Order: sequence, then C-alpha cells, then structure tokens
Amino acid sequence: MANFTVNGQPIEVDANPNTPLLWVIREHLKFTGTKFGCGVGQCGACTVHVNGTATYSCLTPLSAVEGSEVTTIEGLSPNSDHPLQKAWIAEEVPQCGYCQSGQIMRAANLLETTPNPTREEIVAHMSTNICRCGTYSRIIRAIQRAAREV
Amino acid sequence: MPVASTNRREFLQGVSGLTLIIGSSGLITACSPEQAQEIAETRSTEITPNIWVTLASNDSITIQFPATEMGQGTSTSLPLILADELDADWNKVIVETVDFHDEAYGNPFFQNMLYTAGSLTIQAYFEPMRRAGAQARRLLMQSAAETWGVPITEVETEPSIVTHPASGRRLSYGEIVANAEFPETLPEIEDSELKAYGEHRYLGHDIPRRDMLTKSNGSAQFGIDAQVPGMVYASVLRAPVEDEEPIEFDGSAALAIDGVTDIVPLPWGVAVVANTYEASKWGKEALSVTWSQTSRFREANLESDLEAYVDQVENLSQTGTAWRETGDMSAAMKDAVEVVEATYRTDPAYHAQMEPMNATASVTEDGKAAEIWVSTQTQSLSILGAAEFLETTPDKITLHPMFIGGGYGRRTLRRQKYVEDALLVSKAIQKPVKVIWTREDDLKDGTFRNTAAQCLRAGFDEEGHLVAWHHRVAAPKVLEYMNPPRWEASGGRDVIVMLGSESSRYDIPNFLAEHILTERHSRVCAWRGVATSYTKFAAESFVDELAVARGMDPLQFRMGLCHNNPRAMNVLKTVAEMADWSRPREGTALGLALAGYSSTFAAGIAEISVDDVNGAITVHNYWLAADAGYLISPKNSEAQLEGNVIFGISNALKERINIIAGEVQQSNYFDYPVMRMNEIPNVEVRAISTNNPPTGMGEIGLASTGAAIANGVFALTKARVRHLPLTPERVLAVIRG
Repeated sequence: MANFTVNGQPIEVDANPNTPLLWVIREHLKFTGTKFGCGVGQCGACTVHVNGTATYSCLTPLSAVEGSEVTTIEGLSPNSDHPLQKAWIAEEVPQCGYCQSGQIMRAANLLETTPNPTREEIVAHMSTNICRCGTYSRIIRAIQRAAREV
Repeated sequence: MPVASTNRREFLQGVSGLTLIIGSSGLITACSPEQAQEIAETRSTEITPNIWVTLASNDSITIQFPATEMGQGTSTSLPLILADELDADWNKVIVETVDFHDEAYGNPFFQNMLYTAGSLTIQAYFEPMRRAGAQARRLLMQSAAETWGVPITEVETEPSIVTHPASGRRLSYGEIVANAEFPETLPEIEDSELKAYGEHRYLGHDIPRRDMLTKSNGSAQFGIDAQVPGMVYASVLRAPVEDEEPIEFDGSAALAIDGVTDIVPLPWGVAVVANTYEASKWGKEALSVTWSQTSRFREANLESDLEAYVDQVENLSQTGTAWRETGDMSAAMKDAVEVVEATYRTDPAYHAQMEPMNATASVTEDGKAAEIWVSTQTQSLSILGAAEFLETTPDKITLHPMFIGGGYGRRTLRRQKYVEDALLVSKAIQKPVKVIWTREDDLKDGTFRNTAAQCLRAGFDEEGHLVAWHHRVAAPKVLEYMNPPRWEASGGRDVIVMLGSESSRYDIPNFLAEHILTERHSRVCAWRGVATSYTKFAAESFVDELAVARGMDPLQFRMGLCHNNPRAMNVLKTVAEMADWSRPREGTALGLALAGYSSTFAAGIAEISVDDVNGAITVHNYWLAADAGYLISPKNSEAQLEGNVIFGISNALKERINIIAGEVQQSNYFDYPVMRMNEIPNVEVRAISTNNPPTGMGEIGLASTGAAIANGVFALTKARVRHLPLTPERVLAVIRG
C-alpha cells in the first residue's frame, strides 16, 4: 500500500510498487490529463510534479513517491487559471493537444525557479518535451506571456 | 415541420443520452459540460431545417460536425461557416461530432465517408455549411415576417435575433422556434443570396478555437482516456514480421503475474488480459511465443528493395498508370534537343503521432454487436471495419469518437488493428477491454509512408523552352492496402502515392506523371501531406536542376514556367520578398520550392548551412507563403503552416525507418528522433487570403520543405542530394563526390 498525495488529496494505492506512477495516475486514479507517449522518458507527455519538481511519471515507480506530493495538470490551478494555462489559451498553443499537459507542467516548473526566463533558458528547459504538431514557437510565446503577466 | 433525415432523427431519439456523454467528454465545447447538459435537457421545442443544424426554443443552436478534430481546428471553423451564414450568436452554438455512419454527412472526396484527411474538410463542406445556415436563417426570417404581417424584405437579422427595423420589433431565434408555424417546403437559397467574401461576421476574424481550454487543463478526452465500468486491460505481443502468426506459446509465466487473468491467442499475436494495464504489459513481456516462419515479408530489406524500385523506375520500357497526362510527352521528349534526367530516393517515414494506437471495445455475448472508443480520422471506416470484422451490420457498432493525439494519416485505414485487438479480446472474455499499444508496438507495427523511387526527365526544344516533363514514381499500391474498396473504385489512380506529381502550376505542354507499380514490402499508409513530402521533394529538386542546367536563377526559372498562373506567381513573389531572395549570404544559402497541390498554393524558402566536417545541415530560417483561398481562421492557418514546416524539416533532415528481414529496426523516439524545440529554425509564415473558395491548410506547409532544403544545399555546396532524408552521411558523400 503506497501513501502519497495527488493534487493535495491523500491517496492510498494498492498496486505493485514497480508500477510506473504514470499508470497509477491515469488508470488507477483516473487523472487522464497526464499522457502516455513513449514510456522511456523521451517525450515528456507524462510530466508531473513530484515535490515540486517536473518528473517523468513513466520512469518513476510507485515506490519512489511514498510520502511525496504529486501534482498533475488537473491540480495545477483550481480553475484552469494558472498564468500558463491562460497564456496557452491566449496564444492558441495546442493543436492535437496530446502533449500539452506535459508541456505546461514542464513550463510551470521553469517559472517556479526562473520567473523571467530568456528565450534560451526556455528552449533549454523545454527541449525534453516533444510536440509532433510543431507548436514549439507558440509554446515559447506562451511561456514569455505568462512570465510577463505573473 | 421540416425534419432531418430518418437516420438523424432516429439517432436523436434513440441515443440522446450517448450524445450527452460525449458532450461531457469535451467534444461539445460551446460551454461547460454542465451547461451543455442543461441546455440539452431544456430544449423543449426544436426544429431541424436540414441535417446540419437544430434550433431550439431555449436559443441553443446545435451544429453537426462531420469531421474529426485532430489539431487542425475544423471543429471550430466548420460550424463557424454555418453559424456565420445563419447569423447565429456563436456563444449559443453547440457542436456535435457525427458519430454514426451516414453518407448524407460524408465527405464527397472520400466516397461520402466520414473521413478527415487530405486537408479536404473545409474544401468539401464550405458550400453545404453556408447553404444550410442561409436556409435556416431564411426560414426564421419568413416565420417572423408572417408573425408580424410584414414583407420578408423588411426584416433583418443580428446574431440570433430577427428584427423589423421599421417598427423596432425583435424576436430571438428561440422565440420564433417556440411559437411559429413553419412551412412544409424549405426555402431554396440562390448563390447570390449567400454572404460575399469579406462580408462575414466571424469568418476571417480569428474566432478562438473551442478546444483550447480542455487541451490546456487536461480534460480533453482522447481515445486512450476512455474509462468504461468493468473494463480490463489487454497487451498484445504481435508477430515480429507481417503475416506471421503464433504457432505455439507458453503463457504460464504471464499467468503467474499478480493481476493477469487470461491469455487470448489472436491470429496475429497473443493477448495478455489483466486487471491493470501494468500487469497486462508485464504479462506480455513474460510470454514465450514461437512464430511461423513463412511470410514473404521476411525477404523485405529496405535498402535492396529501394534499389529494386530504382531499377524499375529507370527502366522506361515499364510503363505505369497515368496520374496526369497532357500533350504527347514521348514524342516531345524524342524531339527534344536537350534531355535532363535524375533519380530520387525516399526512405519510409513514421507518423510518430504522440498518442500511441489504442482502442477500447465492449462486445456482446453473441459477438455481433459492439461499442468502441477510439481516436479515429474516419468514423465511417471505424464502424464499417468493425462491422466487417465481427461479420455484422454497421448499425450494431456504436462508436464513441474521441480527440486524436495526432493523426497525420495514421488513423485512416479500413482495418484498424488496434480496434480489432480490443474487439477480439472483448469477445473472448466478455468484458470491456482497453488495449494500449506501447510506443515500441506502434513502431514495429507501424504503417509507414511508403518507400519510393522517382525518375524525373525533362526535354527542352531548340529555343530552350521546357516542352516535355516525365515524372515516374515507383511505389506499391498504398491505397489498396489502406482501403481495398476505395482502391477498386479509383480506376487504378493511387492518390496516396501520386499526389503532388501533377505539378499543375507549371505550363508544360507535354506532361506525363505515372505510377510504376512495385511490390509492397512493409505496411503502408498515407502520411502527412499525403505523397507530397516525396513527390514535391523530387519534382522541386528537379526544377532546380533544370534552372541550373539553363543557367538561370531558380526563382526566375519558376516564374517563367508559371507566369500564366497569378496565384502561383503571388506566393513565389511573396516568399521571395519575405526571404529577401536576391541578397547575398555569407556561409549560408537559400533554396526555394513551389509546392502547392490540390487547390492550395504555397512556396517555401530555406536558409541553410552545412557543416563541412560531418555533413550536418542546419536550417536557420524558413519562410513560407500560402494561398488557400478565402481564410476562415487566419491565425489558425498560420499555426498550421508553422507546425507543418517543423514537421517537414524534421522529416527532411533525419526521419527514417529501416527494415531488415521484415523487421522494423526503430523502436522509440531515441532511434526515430523527431524535431525538438532546440532544433527549430526561425519560421516565418504568411497565410494570404484571396477571394477564392477556401481549400486545405492543414498540410500544405510541409510539401516544400525537403526540396527547399536540398536546393539550399546545392546553392551552398554545388552538391545535389537526391535521397530523403538528407542525412549528414548522404550530404557528405555527395559533397566529397
């Protein structure tokens, strides 16, 4: 039995401790905003925060989050009004949208540590995450917009 | 009272609960799911003047969306066309995705199937949507005029309200629906009564896409997100080579894993069923299977197969199926005083869509009916394919279409293997089953952009005019693999293989583009831009070679060939101006390609440099100008162009599938890398709105990329790379001769 919190709620999960956190979040707890893309830490679609740090949930076993605070896209803001989410909508970033939860969670971590990132800092931080639709330049613009408006 | 077709009416009566479930999943995006539910519950009186729109007494307006939303934005732009002509208040519009097969809603470019591909949604539905909106508006105006006892010529509309300016009277659309009598016959709308270009309230004004909120807070529901009560999970170990099957297997180690409940043999593999996804995956990994060894695909080897295609395409005695033919190419080529020839190769490419293939199915006990949840580009083929597979009728298949985590052609096949996995396992164990392919499954069982060899020949007359053009494409019958009935109806014209080879912007009197049929060595499918990523790579590289052969500037040479085509001239001039074409560069060079197709015009310019030690190409800037007629959503059009440029450059520089002994050699993003943020060039696009019927914007930005980059490499190094992707090794090999 693993105990941790997801989006502030205490969670008790009865699952194999080797289960990737991704599948616990998505299929045991039904927080499906976090996406499966590659399973090997290559695409970033599964990005969540563990104790405030952007983490590949596909590579994180359940056993590693015992006692931790996990935040998913569903818990990033109470009303979808995180500055990044507002900026994502204003810039119309998403196309297919599948990677965008991971992109936003990754970007949120950047703004936590670097409130006014340069373009180079954004690119260096975000190049872990793939967007096959090619929305990269809009992601950069949205992060810059969110940084301005915080 | 006018009503919709019987199918539509039965649908509304029979499964309205289903509609609402889908609505709460994010596909109804007019308002919050709760509001959508409330609106739907309180539409006490409604009229459906035609199959596309339903007006309710509570002022809500429901518009049917016959395509699928996969990022191109048509779930906003298509209903917007109707809403504009109806003069609807856009905030009162609910959009419903058509989730049953009915040819009345189908796309005429695809045999009236519900089918979203080829950038043909706006092109197909612009006119029907306008007309449906105008017809509904006229009906409301007639009714209001009768109520007031005034001539219809005295009434006007503003969003969702009919007005009589002379008396100041007003009735909302909902009030009219609640109280008015409607005629048995519907008004006919003349062309001249439709809004003219530039007169629209919404079109051309960047109305925000409706799927932005749900795609920014995680609530958008993709196929992989389906959750069905009582659902279990299955992972399928698939045969390593096409057409092989399991001979025997040992499932004991899999069954020993906690949570694994069943092993189900399938014709193409072995499924492990478990209470959790992770247990099914671990069970799959614990299987031991002996596979048959008889498939002809074990002979498939990309490199030698491609060379066999080259032999065929260069053997002019082997004729093919004409794709476009004008004049007498053979005679003109024979009479030409100068003939130029070149052969181009392209390797297979993978869609690399972010959402791996998956499906959830629940099959009835008799195996003759099913519910399926799947991300699909074609509601019709998902339903028809499942019905054929279960040997039942399409009405027994209930489809829940979901958002699509990247399509690019991957989700257009008639046989959807991921759906068949879920159907067979659900039928066997009599529970709802979710099947999720791993990324590795998705690659190993991928349906790729086909391998192609292309031979281009051109003939000039004594005055130096280009009088003959011959474009030979050696490739398998991709359409036949994707959808046999469509292939049978095609007259042998394989649009998936040939699109773009028509080069119709150029004025060349004697022209033949033909498809040389080759054997199929891998699973194949349409890819983003259909065939244009390789047909335009070859044709536009070749145009550049001809310009060089004539000693002409590539821009001037192209303008000479399309001076009678003002839209082609305009995109050429525009992109040349954007790139400052004639300005000399130091250490970099520009390459140009005119690469529109169908009814959309586009030209791109790449600014590149080449690392002369390792041969790696860097794209520094990419400029693109496109004219897809009258723009519905200018801002979204630019987003599509930008994304396509990235997709195209990624493919042109490094994307390559290799096949050895029938096995796909790549397995995940680490060995099939796609472009990341730190690799993108500066991309500048211009979507030009012209007063022409609106056409496709979802793929056009990709078509120019390969040739523009290759032409830039030539401009810089005088080395011509004729093999896509333009890998460093290939560039270096050509540079070093």
